Amino acid sequence: MDPEQVDEFVMGYLKKKGFNNAAKQLQEALHHNNGGTFNSTDYHNDPELTKLIRSFSQSENDPTRYRDGYSKLRSWAYNSLDLYKHELLRVMYPVFIHCYMDLVGKGHTREARAFFNSFRKDHEMIHLRDLQKLEGVLVPSHLEEMEFARSLRQSKVNIKICQYSYDLLLQYLHRTESTLMLGIINEHINFQVYSGQPNSSSDDIDAVTIVGSFQETADHINQKEIQWGLLEDSLEDRLEKTGSLLSDSEKGQGESKDGDVDDSKKRSNEIGKQGSSLKKLKKDKAGNATAKVARQETSIVSPAPRVKPELALPVMSTDVEESILEDLRNRVQLSSVAMPSVSFYTFVNTHNGLNCASISHDGSLVAGGFSDSSIKVWDMAKIGQAGSGALQGESDTNDQNVGPNGRRNYTLLLGHSGPVYSATFSPPGDFVLSSSADTTIRLWSTQLNANLVCYKGHNYPVWDVQFSPFGHYFASCSHDRTARIWSMDRVQPLRIMAGHLSDVDCVQWHPNCNYIATGSSDKTVRLWDVQTGECVRIFIGHRSMVLSLAMSPDGRYMASGDEDGTIMMWDLSTARCITPLMGHNSCVWSLSYSGEGSLLASGSADCTVKLWDVTSSTKLTKAEEKNGNTNRLRSLRTFPTKSTPVHALRFSRRNLLFAAGALSKPAS
Amino acid sequence: MGIVPKETIEVTAQSIGITNLSPEAALMLAPDVEYRVREIMQEAIKCMRHSKRTTLTASDVDGALNLRSLEPSYGFASGGPFRFRKAIGHQDLFYTDDREVDFKDVIESPLPKAPLDAGVVCHWLAIEGVQPAIPENATLEVIRAPADNKIYEHKDGPLIDVRLPVKHVLSRELQLYFQKIAELTVSKSSPALFKKALVSLASDSGLHPLVPYFTNFIADEVSRGLNDFLLLFNLMHVVRSLLQNPHIHIEPYLHQLMPSIVTCLVSRKLGNRFADNHWELRDFTANLVSLICKRFGNTYITLQSRLTKTLVNAFLDPKKALTQHYGAIQGLSALGHTVVRLLILSNLEPYLSLLEPELDAEKQKNQMKSYEAWRVYGALLRAAGLCIHDRLKVFPNLPSPSPSFLHKGKGKIINAEPRKRKLSADSSENQPPHKRLITTDGPDVLRPHDHTGPAPMHVDKPIGNYNLPQNSAQPSSSEQASDGESRNGKEKERGKSRAITMKAILGQIWKDDLDSGRLLVKLQQLYGDRILPFIPSTEMSVFL
Repeated sequence: MDPEQVDEFVMGYLKKKGFNNAAKQLQEALHHNNGGTFNSTDYHNDPELTKLIRSFSQSENDPTRYRDGYSKLRSWAYNSLDLYKHELLRVMYPVFIHCYMDLVGKGHTREARAFFNSFRKDHEMIHLRDLQKLEGVLVPSHLEEMEFARSLRQSKVNIKICQYSYDLLLQYLHRTESTLMLGIINEHINFQVYSGQPNSSSDDIDAVTIVGSFQETADHINQKEIQWGLLEDSLEDRLEKTGSLLSDSEKGQGESKDGDVDDSKKRSNEIGKQGSSLKKLKKDKAGNATAKVARQETSIVSPAPRVKPELALPVMSTDVEESILEDLRNRVQLSSVAMPSVSFYTFVNTHNGLNCASISHDGSLVAGGFSDSSIKVWDMAKIGQAGSGALQGESDTNDQNVGPNGRRNYTLLLGHSGPVYSATFSPPGDFVLSSSADTTIRLWSTQLNANLVCYKGHNYPVWDVQFSPFGHYFASCSHDRTARIWSMDRVQPLRIMAGHLSDVDCVQWHPNCNYIATGSSDKTVRLWDVQTGECVRIFIGHRSMVLSLAMSPDGRYMASGDEDGTIMMWDLSTARCITPLMGHNSCVWSLSYSGEGSLLASGSADCTVKLWDVTSSTKLTKAEEKNGNTNRLRSLRTFPTKSTPVHALRFSRRNLLFAAGALSKPAS
Repeated sequence: MGIVPKETIEVTAQSIGITNLSPEAALMLAPDVEYRVREIMQEAIKCMRHSKRTTLTASDVDGALNLRSLEPSYGFASGGPFRFRKAIGHQDLFYTDDREVDFKDVIESPLPKAPLDAGVVCHWLAIEGVQPAIPENATLEVIRAPADNKIYEHKDGPLIDVRLPVKHVLSRELQLYFQKIAELTVSKSSPALFKKALVSLASDSGLHPLVPYFTNFIADEVSRGLNDFLLLFNLMHVVRSLLQNPHIHIEPYLHQLMPSIVTCLVSRKLGNRFADNHWELRDFTANLVSLICKRFGNTYITLQSRLTKTLVNAFLDPKKALTQHYGAIQGLSALGHTVVRLLILSNLEPYLSLLEPELDAEKQKNQMKSYEAWRVYGALLRAAGLCIHDRLKVFPNLPSPSPSFLHKGKGKIINAEPRKRKLSADSSENQPPHKRLITTDGPDVLRPHDHTGPAPMHVDKPIGNYNLPQNSAQPSSSEQASDGESRNGKEKERGKSRAITMKAILGQIWKDDLDSGRLLVKLQQLYGDRILPFIPSTEMSVFL
């Protein structure tokens, strides 16, 4: 090679990279040595080095290099040893998106698009949603504007890789002199090399999730201590203390079913009762036996620690307390062999307008938030008395809608000026909170049927609002990427939780009121300390927007459901996913734990309610530690509805499951 | 390039009045437009998710525009999701089906109904984990794999309810068996073996897994082999064997079988040769139908009514071929005398008047047609006869019919008889036919067509041109008499004599003749003494 040519390349490279000083010095050196011989720099004589230099300079701008480099790397990875293939393939995705973004960043829109389209198939299965977002990035300014792209550019991806795979990769990159690929890998991937055999490919979910810069911060945050135990002196405790122990609760259990229906006088479900009473006699025996076992197990396994409340909690009136205690005493013990009864509230004639549904804690009130900014509250007790015939099966919906004297049989709450996205009942059922696209949250009284307070604070539509388990406080979350804590008596928020990288889509209180969990479009779930407003846990693993959350009654676990139908069970203390629960094939709108935490119910847009056995899941993890291989399937039952997506679910205190959804015409 | 080509930008620019947009500017704008569109869609999808929907609507897009503080799109928020149509010739190009609406039509059309107000209905989705079978709940799958669940429950450890996908596994033996039977049915080569196969089908246990395959096979073959008489006959035999097998639970497949069976009963053409005794097939199928109705009529209440409806439609449609009428009549008569009385006898008179010209061999030159007509006539006679026979059995103490009717009827007979005698004096041995029939052929008449095999037809078939009329004479009078004389002439006489009686009774008014006696009289008027063989001798004596 012509030495002068090399010099030119080097000069050009230095200039382009902005190393002006170095360029100047080189020029001076060249001038200085003009005519003389090089002795200090021997790069002209080293063919390897010249080649390298040439490869740098030759077409730094050439967009085809990305394509060539990537496709070579790709075919190499696909042809690698089976044992290490999946680890190597995992490297491909970050390389792919960064190649693409490099191309976009350099203004090669056309080439970038061609590159993207030719390789997107490889990654669509796992990263479809990210790809859809990135697909729109076409000019350099978009890279700056889009927070997702920005976070990708600024952060490194952590990839766990075994020693041998790592060596293989490096060897390949050096042998083929794919400096471009090497550069991208060095710049954007952070290898965590471990010795030993590679992991099985299915295990590592978080390895394939690109989370941006906060992987380290997340790890850091997740070190923090949290007190996930239940509150001291909770009603459950009191119940145990007052001596209504095993025998007592079992005695109550026999009548509990009837009691649930009668006592709550919400609905005159004569039919259901009769239908089930016969079966119940038989079943209760089995149920009792297993309940005993379950009870013993739980008491051995998890004596949930008690913690002090960090908030000043409202004082409960003795009446309310009594009724709750009564409910708890009469709770049906559920387990994988003692299934709950499910009462389904179907909204009819909603004309696609029902945005949300909510059920009060005793199941007697049902609220629907509509896209025409109205909220409608039905008192199911009254409807049950008026039209008990309708329960028998002949669903004459027209009669149902209009009361006997032609009046509508619901309470209409008007006040919002945009679609209502969420509604929640206070625990005793005397208040309703609603959140809307008009950025406000409104408090309504179910006794006065009137709006009491309008809470303004969010700047964008408020996606979700939830009363705390003890009332008075509530949490909201919004498109403005914050979650806020409020109390009923202040119009300003008490805390603002900021940190999510995208919309905060759902919020849920921890049973001890000291934490809230938020699910977001950035595919993470975060746990926040209510008192300090700090983020104390980040749960990474979902592959799409998180739509629903539920906390186990003992405060130890959390379940989250996403847009794809995956439900994840998290251990709050370790921030690790216990196991994903697969089964739904569309959005999981709602999740609910049964009263004693043995079952999880999930409602989905695929028109089913599923019941999951979560006691075995927690047990299994222990077994898993021992033998490492267990069956992870834990779906117990699937209850399909007649083309009614399930919007809301709630276990009553007595463990009757209520579900609600709007009847939608099946797609023709 | 991206989804938005620069031409789109140029067109859009022109549409809003910018004519001097440089191509470079359009090229620059295109990617940005695409990005913005994607951004809006991303927000719109968020709005959709929070509205708990899975289809994007115009209101979601408006919501997204609102989020970005942009003006919403006007004129699209009309409720339901759009209907998109694919542009022909392009892969990913769609357009909304936006038809032009005439103002006048809109104004003149009546106001649409006010939409119903929202409401909440409550039902039990599950009671203690079991879904009750109420209309509100989705129908459960019929086929389940209960065995699998039990297996899992017996294992120790956590109780897991794993529902494996239901797979229909056929053992190798069953597959071979099915193939063999299908072969035999189709090949028709070895009747003896086929008979054995039928016996096996009718008695073997463990054939149930094959039932869906057999029903499918039968349906396929019947629709394919309408020209193949033997095949059809074989198939019907297979059906009968399946029905007879006590180990087979055939009910769920009845709805698949019935169309094939009814086809074999009332199809216009079964088989493609003259020698094909499709009458026999129809009779056989009629018996099958009655068997099915008797067995499953209680469980499927609509079964018989639907069947009779089909048959009556075939029977009363004058456009249908006579063969179809025959099948329908046979089917109906196999369903029992009540059906016959209600559906055939009430329509008997008009039908006979229609049949009349066909019967008359002089008017009807087509011998085939005439033969068919006589066949139908015979079937009708048999149906009526069996009906009256049953009725008379039911009412042993027959109330004596009104004397006037009796006399009239007798008068008719008397009138008719001598004429007949006179005209067919040479064939005196046939006279009087009815008396002979009572004594000798009576029981045979009750099941006149149940012989299997076409043998009798060939036996008494004389040589030459008289072939067809000969055949027709034999069953039409339902006598099964095997005298080899040329009865062509006599045939005509009968037609004539009957025509006379018909004319005579047409003037009479039928009132509510539900009484059996009157019915009998009526029938006698219609049929003359040919009905007499059906009447048990004791009743006969009372009657005459």
